[in-house]
Amino acid sequence: MLFLISIGLTLIFGIMRIVNFAHGALYMLGAYAGFTIAGWTGSYWLALVLAPLSVAAIGIVLEAVALRPLYRREHGAFLLVTFGLALVIGEAIRLGWGPDPRRLPIPPVLAGSLTILGAPFPTYRLFLAVTGAVVAVALWQFLARTRLGLLIRATSQNAEMVHALGVDVQVVRAGVFGLGCGLAALGGVMATPLVSAHLGMGVNVVVDAFVIVIIGGMGSFGGSIVGSLLVGLVQTFGNFYLPDLALAAIYLAMIAVLVLRPRGLFGLEE
Amino acid sequence: MATPYLECEGLSRHFGALAALDGVTMRVESGEIRALIGPNGAGKSTLFNVITGVLAPTAGVVRFKGERLSGLPPHEVCARGLSRTFQITALFSRLSALENVRLAAQARSARRWRILPGGPATNQTAREGRQWLERLGLSALADTPAGLLSHGDQRLLEVAMALAQRPEVLLLDEPTQGLSVEETARTVDILRALLSGGGLTVLLVEHDMEVVFSLAQHITVLNRGRVIADGATEAVRQDPRVQEAYLGGLA
Amino acid sequence: MRAAVRALLLVATAVVPLVLPTFLVTALTEMMILGLFAMSLDLLVGYTGLDSFGHAAVYGFGAYSAALLLLHTGVSLPVAILGGAVFTAAIAVPMAWLCTRATGVAFAMLTLAFAQLLYAVAYKWQSVTGGSDGLAGVPRTAGPLGMSWFTSRIGYFYLAAGCLIAAYVFCRAFVASAVGTTLLAIRENERKAQALGYNPRAYKILVFVLSAFLGGLAGALYAPFAGFASPDLFFWVLSGQVLIMVVVGGAGTLSGPILGAAFFLALEHYLSVFTDSWALVLGLVFIAVVLFAPQGLWGMVRGHAVP
Repeated sequence: MLFLISIGLTLIFGIMRIVNFAHGALYMLGAYAGFTIAGWTGSYWLALVLAPLSVAAIGIVLEAVALRPLYRREHGAFLLVTFGLALVIGEAIRLGWGPDPRRLPIPPVLAGSLTILGAPFPTYRLFLAVTGAVVAVALWQFLARTRLGLLIRATSQNAEMVHALGVDVQVVRAGVFGLGCGLAALGGVMATPLVSAHLGMGVNVVVDAFVIVIIGGMGSFGGSIVGSLLVGLVQTFGNFYLPDLALAAIYLAMIAVLVLRPRGLFGLEE
Repeated sequence: MATPYLECEGLSRHFGALAALDGVTMRVESGEIRALIGPNGAGKSTLFNVITGVLAPTAGVVRFKGERLSGLPPHEVCARGLSRTFQITALFSRLSALENVRLAAQARSARRWRILPGGPATNQTAREGRQWLERLGLSALADTPAGLLSHGDQRLLEVAMALAQRPEVLLLDEPTQGLSVEETARTVDILRALLSGGGLTVLLVEHDMEVVFSLAQHITVLNRGRVIADGATEAVRQDPRVQEAYLGGLA
Repeated sequence: MRAAVRALLLVATAVVPLVLPTFLVTALTEMMILGLFAMSLDLLVGYTGLDSFGHAAVYGFGAYSAALLLLHTGVSLPVAILGGAVFTAAIAVPMAWLCTRATGVAFAMLTLAFAQLLYAVAYKWQSVTGGSDGLAGVPRTAGPLGMSWFTSRIGYFYLAAGCLIAAYVFCRAFVASAVGTTLLAIRENERKAQALGYNPRAYKILVFVLSAFLGGLAGALYAPFAGFASPDLFFWVLSGQVLIMVVVGGAGTLSGPILGAAFFLALEHYLSVFTDSWALVLGLVFIAVVLFAPQGLWGMVRGHAVP
């Protein structure tokens, strides 16, 4: 689940060199939107599809309005603006939906648990993991094999060349940003049955997502995978053996990685 | 044999499989004005970068007055007496021209660690800054933000900054690049006047052959990371290998 | 002109707490403490170009240090406050050494990580830090030299004002000094500064520790002021808020961030009376400033930090 969010973040950072602080807020937005859509339509599955799409659309609008003027400026500005966006989105959610948490029930087909290798696993969590894996593979193939994917990767390397070739770089950027937002929202919708949509979920998640992306290396796809696995492991074992240290553990890990390998484990050149 | 002043011995620098520098050996004497020429991609800027510590060599060594220079970070190389200009103009754009030169002078001042504004500390460096601006003909632009200067003035400002450091060795990376004919002439005149006093060793990367011939006493020619000729200006001028490397380009 | 304004401000500062109602005096004291905090960040962000996302780390550390000193030892208020600042500067040395190994985004994230780390420690180490409840009942211990006057509300106002003014005077002098001007060079073009012979890392560490001292001072002023210290003082939301204060106020001007802090508090206290969504307004203002007026409000009035 955290993985989906980090993938989106990596995408946005790797391709657009934007540090999207608002990612957590968008995740939260996805959660709330999913809740509402499910309420209107009565279907979890519809919410799963529509919420990410609508958040992606919002993301595209945001990119056009708030981020476009910044491409010509230095990178620090992105950090600040996306932070501001995170605040604004968070507040807007609070005003729109109120302070109470909203829970979405697990659709009956995914409830219960499956037994794998003799151990029971909650079906829903399996569903999350599987979806994460599917999305990862699909994205990877998309970027590596398709023409559009090639275009996106080319834009991240040398936007001017791509522009010279007659492609509208702005559209590519907007699309990638929207995709990243949509992924975050997808994570949000899928999270609601587990943790319920509540204020502050964006805050908790964005820092963790950044830790994952930093550890894995910004801009590196495989890095995000490794990163989220690592963080998941650290958190699980930490909680088990040294619960007091668990909270601090991932930050220590991030510091260690950044100090030893400032580009992350698999990071690309900045 | 006396200790060579500035020498590169078997210097190599690889980028992956590409050898930007391949066994470059070069000796520069004190007080010499040495031009470094070669076609694009020959490795001239890479050589500068290795000498000044921006890049570490993958093999070989750089020595200055007998002391090993390669492997030191750029600020320590500079502290040993080597100052440089960059091929792509590097200035403090939002600061004034005067402040740019003053900062250059300040870097070599003993008082640069003052954390309170010293009357003497900043005043003296400001005075030096003004002097250098005047020698380079830039006095009128003292208070203009460096980023707003014309290209030619920016190149001259960079030279002023390098000189304000009172270096023993001055490395100029294409100082006339992008300049008009008249700006080039002006720059050459200024350089010639400054260098005629002696006491300064100069390493000059240039593409403009007229500039090279009017300033340099010795020329080293690079091609594909290797030294293909090295000697007095006239000799190099006549060297057929050099002419071939330039495909009929030498004046 | 500027001297006249400054003289006026000094007089006002001396007189104000005697004439204004107590709740305003308290509010102004808080503004000054936050102003000091914001100004300390400006040294990093505005003058050196180092975007720190974890400045709350020094604020929280200063607060907890002072609180612990006041709660467990008998030192007087001024000593505890100074102690808090000194301890913060001390811990900032290894922090700075580690953080400056990276640049740009990685640097920002490292500072964030440290702040979150301290947050986690404060949250969990109940025996020392009081856990999620924090430390309460921080006393304003009067000292032996008859300094009990500082412990009153008005006295504390003067204490905070004194610290802010002293810090401001020092910072003004610092940014005009040889070291201060070098920071600007590093901000403009680090590679060039290094080519000129400056060691950028040494300077960054120096300004980081200095900024930590002043930020820690602000935190140390806060704990006895509010009477408590809690893990929230380390939380990244506070780091973001102080960054907003600096940017909206005007990075690189020293006075701008102080105004930014005042603006922020004013919004928080007064706008919230009228509307529930003051944070939304703040966020939008922030975004607008970054997009359209990057030199900040004060920067628009005065011009960016360019000598």
